Order: sequence, then C-alpha cells, then structure tokens
Amino acid sequence: MNRTLEHILPNVQKPARYTGGEYNAVVKEKNQVSVRYALCFPDTYEIGMSNLGCRILYGVMNERPDVWCERCFAPWGDMEEAMRREGLLLYGLESGDPIAEFDIIGFSLGYEMAYTNVLNMLDLAGLPLRSGERTSLAPLVVAGGTCCYNPEPLAPFVDLFVLGEGEEVTLEYIDLYRQAQEEGWTKEEFLEDAAKIPGIYVPSFYEPIYRADGTLESVDIKPGRGAPGQVTKRIIQDMDKAYFPVKTIIPSTEIVHDRVMLELFRGCIRGCRFCQAGYAYRPVRSRGPELLARYGKEACEDSGYQEMTLSSLSSTDYPDLLPLCDELLDYCAPRDIGLSLPSLRADTFSMSLMERLQRVRRGGLTFAPEAGTQRLRDAINKNLREEDLLQSVRTAFAGGWNGVKLYFMLGLPTETDEDVLGIADLARKVYFTWREYSPNKARGVRITVSTSWFVPKPHTAFQWEAQITAEEYQRRVDLLRDALKRDKSITYNWHDPQTSYLEAVLSRGDRRLADVLEWVWEHGGRLDSWTEYFDYQRWLDGLAACGLDGDFYAHRERGRDEVFPWSRLSTGVSADFLWRERELCYQSQTTPDCRARCSGCGANKLLTGGGRCG
Amino acid sequence: MADRLLFTKTGRARYISHLDLMRTFQRAFARAKIPIKHTEGFNPHPFVSIALPLSVGYSSQCELLEFGLLEGTSYEEVPERLTAAMPEGIIIHRCYPEERKLKELRYVNYIMTFDYPEGRPQETEPAMSALLSRDSLVVKKKSNKAKAGFTEVDIIQLVHSWRIECQSDTMMVDLVVSAQNPGLNPELLRAAFCSEYPEYTPDFVTFHRRDVLDREGKPFR
Repeated sequence: MNRTLEHILPNVQKPARYTGGEYNAVVKEKNQVSVRYALCFPDTYEIGMSNLGCRILYGVMNERPDVWCERCFAPWGDMEEAMRREGLLLYGLESGDPIAEFDIIGFSLGYEMAYTNVLNMLDLAGLPLRSGERTSLAPLVVAGGTCCYNPEPLAPFVDLFVLGEGEEVTLEYIDLYRQAQEEGWTKEEFLEDAAKIPGIYVPSFYEPIYRADGTLESVDIKPGRGAPGQVTKRIIQDMDKAYFPVKTIIPSTEIVHDRVMLELFRGCIRGCRFCQAGYAYRPVRSRGPELLARYGKEACEDSGYQEMTLSSLSSTDYPDLLPLCDELLDYCAPRDIGLSLPSLRADTFSMSLMERLQRVRRGGLTFAPEAGTQRLRDAINKNLREEDLLQSVRTAFAGGWNGVKLYFMLGLPTETDEDVLGIADLARKVYFTWREYSPNKARGVRITVSTSWFVPKPHTAFQWEAQITAEEYQRRVDLLRDALKRDKSITYNWHDPQTSYLEAVLSRGDRRLADVLEWVWEHGGRLDSWTEYFDYQRWLDGLAACGLDGDFYAHRERGRDEVFPWSRLSTGVSADFLWRERELCYQSQTTPDCRARCSGCGANKLLTGGGRCG
Repeated sequence: MADRLLFTKTGRARYISHLDLMRTFQRAFARAKIPIKHTEGFNPHPFVSIALPLSVGYSSQCELLEFGLLEGTSYEEVPERLTAAMPEGIIIHRCYPEERKLKELRYVNYIMTFDYPEGRPQETEPAMSALLSRDSLVVKKKSNKAKAGFTEVDIIQLVHSWRIECQSDTMMVDLVVSAQNPGLNPELLRAAFCSEYPEYTPDFVTFHRRDVLDREGKPFR
C-alpha cells in the first residue's frame, strides 16, 4: 500500500472505504492488460457499492482478459482534505494507482446532486475539468446512468455519454479505444468513430443555439463529424443472456444495500406519468424464474450474505413471482437467509406474499399512493385504488404490523387543494382501519405521511410542466399540516424543498448550467446530497454569478414545440406518446398497463426480434 | 465447548473495524461452507466473537476468534478453506478446540515502530527509556462512560516489560502490557511521548500486535 495513504488512513473516518482488497475484488497484472478502466461512482463508497449497475459493469469488463476495471468513489471531506494536503491523487481501489494514468474514466450518473462530485473527482485525479482541455486520447472521460437522458449540464466536462444499458456498448467503445490506441488516433478521431456507435452521445459534436429569451432555437449538429441526428438508448435484448453478477465484491465494511440483489426484470408496465424510470427503462424485459432462482442461490453461496432482495421497478408485476418466491424460500428459510421484496404494490396479492416472506414482523410497511384523491391518482396514472390500499393496510394491521408510511408528492399537475386535503383524509382512513382491525391496540400505531415536492423530469409525460413555486409548495405543506394537526397518531414529514428545486433546475437544464456547476464546485460545493455539506445559498449565488435564472428551468411551462436540451436523445418512447399522456392527465383519464393493452409508446421498436414487450 | 481460530490481520485488512471484521467472518464461514453454531432467539445469526478488539490501523499476527464448529468439518481443513473466503490480509493459521478460558489471557506484546524518515535524533532512545522508567505516568484517556469524558490511566502500572531497539531512521519499542481489566492501548504511550518530547515527534508510528501471553509470559492460545 502507498506510504502516503498508509499515513492518512489512521486519521480518517471509516478507512476501510479507501483500501480495496475486499473479497472478490479483481486484481490483475497491469502489464498484462491493454485497457485500464476506472469505474467512478460520484458519491461515497457506501452508496456506490450498493449500485447494482456498477457491479454489473465491473463484472462485464473484468471478464475480459485485456481489460482491468477498478473502482473509485468520492472521498468524504476528511479524506479529501488529507489527500489534498499530502498530495495524494485519486486512485483506483484495486491497484492504488492514480486514475489519471488510466485509459478510461467512467462515471455513473444516477442523481443530479452528485454532479459537483464529478468535477471534484476529476480535480482530485489531477485532471483538467473541461473536455477541451484534456487533449490526449487518455484518459477518456465517459458517463452513463439515468441522468444521461439529459446530460447537458455536464456536457463540457465529459467526452462522451452512454445512453441506456451499458453491458454491450461499454465493450464496444472499449474495443474502439483499443484500436485507437494501437493505431495512434487523436482523441478527435476516436470521438468521431465513437459517435457512430449506437447509444453514444458525443456532446462536443452538437451545438445548442439559444434565442434571446433563453429558450433553444435548435441543437445543431456540427458539420463533418458524422454525428447522428438522434442518439437512441441501448437495451439488452434478452435478459436471460445478460450478465448477472453472481460473483461480486463483498465489502468488508457496511454499505447501504448490503445484500444479494436479484434483478427480476427491467422496465415497468405501469406507465405512471411522473416517473422517469418507468418511461426510460422501457420496454419490459424479464428474466426466467428458473434462471433467477439459480442466480439467487449461487449469489448467496458465493457471498455468504444472510439477506436477499428482489429488485425491479414493481416486483408484483413479475409474472412468475409466486413460484420464484416459493423456490427461493425453500432455499433461504432453512439457512436463516431473509428474503425481502421492496417495490410492492399496495394490493391484496402483495400483502399475502409479504406475510409468507416475513418470518419476523418488522416495524413498518411503506406504500406510495403518490396522490390523495382518486381523481389525481388517475391523472398521474397511478393505478392504485383506495379500496386496494385500505384492504392492504387492513391485512397488515390484522397481521400485527403497527406502523405504515405513506409517500405522496405535492405539486403534481392538476393538483387542487381538494387533492392536498385528500391526503389527510386517506391517512385518517388508514388510522380508522387500524382502530377497527388491530388485535393489539395497546401498542398504538405510527402512521407517517411524507410529501416531496414534485420535480418534472425529461422524457416523461410531465416534461413540459412547470414545477410549482417554493411559496406554493410551502402553502400546500401548511394546508396539509394544518389538516393533520389534530391527529396524534399521524406524523407528517415534508421533504426539504431546496434540493428538489435544484433537481428541477438541473434535470431539465441546458449546457449553460455547466458554468454554474463549475462555480459552485470552485466555491466549495461537493457531496451536495449530504446535509453536512449541502449549501443552498452557494447554488443561488452560482446561478446569479453566471447570470442564469433557476426559475426559468424549474418553474416555466414549456410549449408543445419547445426544443428541449435533450431533443437529440431518445429513450425509444415517442414525444407524441408523451404529449398524449399529458393530455390524458388533464382529462383525469388513465392509460391501461402494458400487459392489458399496448399503448404504442414506441419502445417495442427497440426489440430487434420485432418482439413484444414482457 | 467453544472453538478457536488463530489468525493474522495485516496489510489492507488492518483498516477493517472490529464490528466489520465479525460480520466478515460470519459471511466467510458461509462462503467457505463451514457450518457454525448460531445464536438462539428471535433473530438467529452465526455466533462469532473476537478477543481483545484491535484498534483500526493496527496489524496483528495473534488474533483469536471464538465460535462453534458444527459437525462435518475437521479442524485441519478450516484454515485453508476459510482463508480462501477472506478479504486480502486475513490469514487463518490454526483452528482448534478451546482449552483455556480467555480470562487467563494476561498480557499483549506490541511492537511500536516510530518512523523518522529524515533521520532519527539520537536523544529519542534515552527519552523513551526515561519515560518508561518513571514511577508513574498518568495520562488522560477518552471515555464515554466517565462524566468528564475521560478517565486517568497510569501507563507505568500497566506496562509489564519493555525493550527499545533503534536504527538510523526508526525506534522500535517492544512492549508487553496488561491485556484486560484494564488493558493498555499503546497509542497512549505514543501520545505521552509526543507530548513530553514534542521535538522528537516521529513522522509516523505503526502498531503491531505480536503475541498474546498468559501469566507466565507464554503464548496464550
């Protein structure tokens, strides 16, 4: 181990985050590989190691003998300070070598508040922030993840973005990189060829043209580079043939999701109109139950984990859920391995399943009705009926649970005060259900209502919507708080509005926001998803310093013909379909789920076999 | 009767905390398919217990873990199979049935190495000797239990024997201290030395646990 690192580690919190050497960490001989890849997660080790996507890509790359993929995370503040003081550059956990010496640096972008960490990590690596200032081919800076469906605020810092699922395209651009390396291409030459790989967006080949009012006139393609007019996301065609990380790194220190994660399927049949994941991960593609059962068992055997969780956007929609659970339970129960099922819908089927799975009654259950009235739930296409929710909590309370958390959003399109007050009514009905059905009222009940401030996201039916203002959000919070203040058994929490505002600014932001990111980072911004470090005023100052108005991005309603910063990027779901969904919202009309009837969103065209979703 | 493992913890594994290491062992037994006894009760889990928690950052060649081996695995095959399931830096040397109680573990032998990469001042050795030859050396030790937030400890009372060996850029202190009730963390000696002789503050100090001993000064296993 590096001597400087050895001297630093005794003085920082949780040093095991910075050492590598975990079980199943891949160590190769660096002279035996052609491409060294630093897979960077722009948040702490505990968060990044919990990311299934990173584990998949780590495995996919390291299966290749010519590639060595290492991991890199954002250091906590004390570690960063020590690294800067001692002149220790950001390093890959496996080798301890500075990532600046690697061939490719790849960031996983899952949420906007991690953007400043990307800049900070590039700086800690000793690299210039802007793509244009890194003139040589290596290290190439790439990024993937959900945020790449509108990566414009990061465009000047990243050489290329990858849209969609990375298992295949990562190896494709690595192959191209190898060729470039062997034949001595310039970075420019490499990027021109990379832009021709489906799913790869090279931002420097596109130029946004702004009107005087700040909206986009167009996103022009720079001539002569051969960059495509539209970049469409990549998907894995057959989940049964996709890599699954049976053998994966087991951290020696506690992380957030410290368990086997069994990915049932990708995509979601539900079509909730606010949900970016629901649109962006289409079409639905499932793994077979036999294969999943095998993976689950093998992953438990290899990891020694005592807990397994089934993961997907809506696990109840997995067609073979019952037989799969039965088979997994047969394996897990005698070995004291806990099996958990998040992302359940609040219906009766799910509840009976929960009862079977949970040998130990845990304290609370969580449901996300999202809206307080049936009218608004229909408008956002959250196909959950009040009867179903109440039936579910009835089963739960009768079965001994004594706590329920209910999640809602405030500021959804078409929301009225009646809808806001409907949240209080629904919470009260849940309370009365407890009074009626709890076998043990002496223990009391905890009903928690949480509201967040709705953030309209790109590539959703609500991408044209204005986020309601902070004042209006606060008024609705106060309205609801007032309505609930007499109910002693109901606790009301509301999400801090500051990060929701910045998410609204960044998620639909354009390339001009890059200056704001750089300003905020220069003035100390990093680890912005942590309250210990987040400073709202710094962001407001940054917007002001760059002459940009955050409200323009967050609170402005866009017209149908708006040119979006992400207009060159496609999830496979057509804008016409999204607009139709938006109109149905205003009529409080629902759209059936994808299994009941295909609504023609366009995503099935991504399936090469002329296939059907499922 | 319980069983024991003797293992070393070096290299990158030095930074795994006591609690994390216990969790790592629980999982490693499962990975190696070595069945061990579980705790009883509401939420049964594999039982493991590591004697004398080692401070984060210290290396050791004499760690002891208590557990219960279930039928089906022989003592001889445990070290190799379990080591293969461990993170880098943990090596299991022996697995055997417990023959004596942990309370018979009296002393710990630490090797402290004071690094002076720019050259060690000559006076460090007599200074350390003088410090350890005092009749008493009372220092403050952080304590969460005490009201004041610290308790007072007399280092000399808890040092059983010591020996100093110097080279041009290092000073090695071979220290035998009380193991438990109360034990002494050699970090307190480092801190006392640096506060008494700030001019001889080393660049860095490493701590290595070389052995655990019984009353007679023989290795405790």
